[in-house]
Amino acid sequence: MSEPAETANQVDAKGIVVGLVGIYIAGISGIPYLAFLAGIGAIFATKMGADAVRRVCSYGIGTGVPSIGMLALGMGIIAAMFGLAIGKMYKAVFIGPIVGLVLALVIGFVVGSLTNKVIKLNIPVMERCLTEIAGAGVLVLTGFSVMVAGSMDFTVIVEKVITTGYIAPIFILGALGILHPFNASLGPDETQDRTLVHAYSCGAIAMVIGGVCSIAVIDPIAGIISIVIGLAIWYATFMGFVRLVKRDAGAGYVGTGLLPPGAM
Amino acid sequence: MEPAMGMGLVALMGAAATVAGCSEDLESDIGSQSNPNSQVQLAAQVGYPHRIFNKAISGEPPSNAMYCAVGAGVAMVLIQSVNASPLLAIAIGAFVAALLNGVFSTTAYMGRNASQTRFNQYVYLDVLRNQLLSLMGHAYITTFCIVGLSYVMWHHDLIGHPFPFPVIAMIWGLAVGAIGSSTGDVHYGAEREFQDFKFGAGLNAADSGNITRFAEAGIRSSMDNAWFCSKFGGPVTGIAFGMTVFLDNWRSTAFSGWTAVVVGSAIVLALIIYNRQIETYARKKYGPYPEYAGDIEA
Repeated sequence: MSEPAETANQVDAKGIVVGLVGIYIAGISGIPYLAFLAGIGAIFATKMGADAVRRVCSYGIGTGVPSIGMLALGMGIIAAMFGLAIGKMYKAVFIGPIVGLVLALVIGFVVGSLTNKVIKLNIPVMERCLTEIAGAGVLVLTGFSVMVAGSMDFTVIVEKVITTGYIAPIFILGALGILHPFNASLGPDETQDRTLVHAYSCGAIAMVIGGVCSIAVIDPIAGIISIVIGLAIWYATFMGFVRLVKRDAGAGYVGTGLLPPGAM
Repeated sequence: MEPAMGMGLVALMGAAATVAGCSEDLESDIGSQSNPNSQVQLAAQVGYPHRIFNKAISGEPPSNAMYCAVGAGVAMVLIQSVNASPLLAIAIGAFVAALLNGVFSTTAYMGRNASQTRFNQYVYLDVLRNQLLSLMGHAYITTFCIVGLSYVMWHHDLIGHPFPFPVIAMIWGLAVGAIGSSTGDVHYGAEREFQDFKFGAGLNAADSGNITRFAEAGIRSSMDNAWFCSKFGGPVTGIAFGMTVFLDNWRSTAFSGWTAVVVGSAIVLALIIYNRQIETYARKKYGPYPEYAGDIEA
């Protein structure tokens, strides 16, 4: 694992700030055409989760990489729905995402402590990384749910995202966005910039599919805006990923050929 | 609903599930996902760089759940917003899911091989091009069948399951991935890779990674593995998943209430006893490894 270009604190700060700002603008403005901002927030949150997975899984958690991604969204969906429900209960919609985030951070810290202290995995960064992963999970789910529903209101989200079942693709794509970047780059020559640019591209795929779902839910134009912006982000970051693969593979990036000399 | 109609739907779902199971297993075999992946990932590190597709998209259950949930989500958008015919909508949904399969497979192959540069593992673009369309094609078939059977299960005029359409598809996607991973992949991960070892010989650590090197003729490719697994591993996954879908829906369609629960328990019990008998029969017939002289029950 190479030296990180971005520190954990920088990635977390960007993920939480951009994530929350995107969700709030999309949720409070009430303008469906701004719903895509919640998706952009969720992409940054995906990156924050992927970086945390990268740090914790570099301690040799090989087959646990997918499990940890699913764990993130498992913790995230409970906290997200709890937060939004609290917002509705106290008739203050705007506290929903913050309450959800705080609850997720607490759940993540507790799960991390249990893993380290009770199961005795003894990985130094476990508590911090699971806290970040849970935070990323809640922001990803809230972000994409708000993008699809165009609102932060719990009743609207339940009616338009959960009851219709659109939560299923959001849930699984959100989880893959967090776990796939590091899982797809597993190996001793993994680099942080390649993993993180891949996280953006996975988040953008989730944004595109979320945009498709929001065509049926809020407004065709709002959905198409999300799809087009998502596709643009995906294209740019996917090409960036391929460029970094070329850089990291060096002379090993070949069109075709036999096995390398000395390998037979 | 008439009983004949109900049984017809159950049979249709079972048939779709059989095809889905088979194509799911072959898709994962071409990409060496799940069970055999650890050997493929390990091979370069023990000095055996290879030309096998390394498709690490999480485990099979989450990745298939993703294709099926996305396929069903897109199909539902088309049905709800433009009133598309269900068959066309499911076909388009499965196509979108196959595209996602292509993107995730590409990034997994490129990323994993680029992360093993120090072991002389190359990123072969022809390996990527040759396998990618087969992967996407098989993923399309799987998604189409699963989303189709989920639609039959969800639609209120047909079976009328209370869960939303994409959630049913996601659950069946998880199921087909889990069954492919536990049934068919064993044929690749255990049988194909170690077919020249004697029964009960175990795997010497020094033989790790050997499995990626030679096929019947020349260097082994992922297509050779699909050819091998399509003879047994794929169909057996199809039968396993088809039976799961068929027997589960059959008992709840033909019976109701507690009778259905009792019939379900009886089926599970019968299968457990049958499996145990096959296992003991195989161990007795093919015996312990010839050079083994211990007295532990084989």
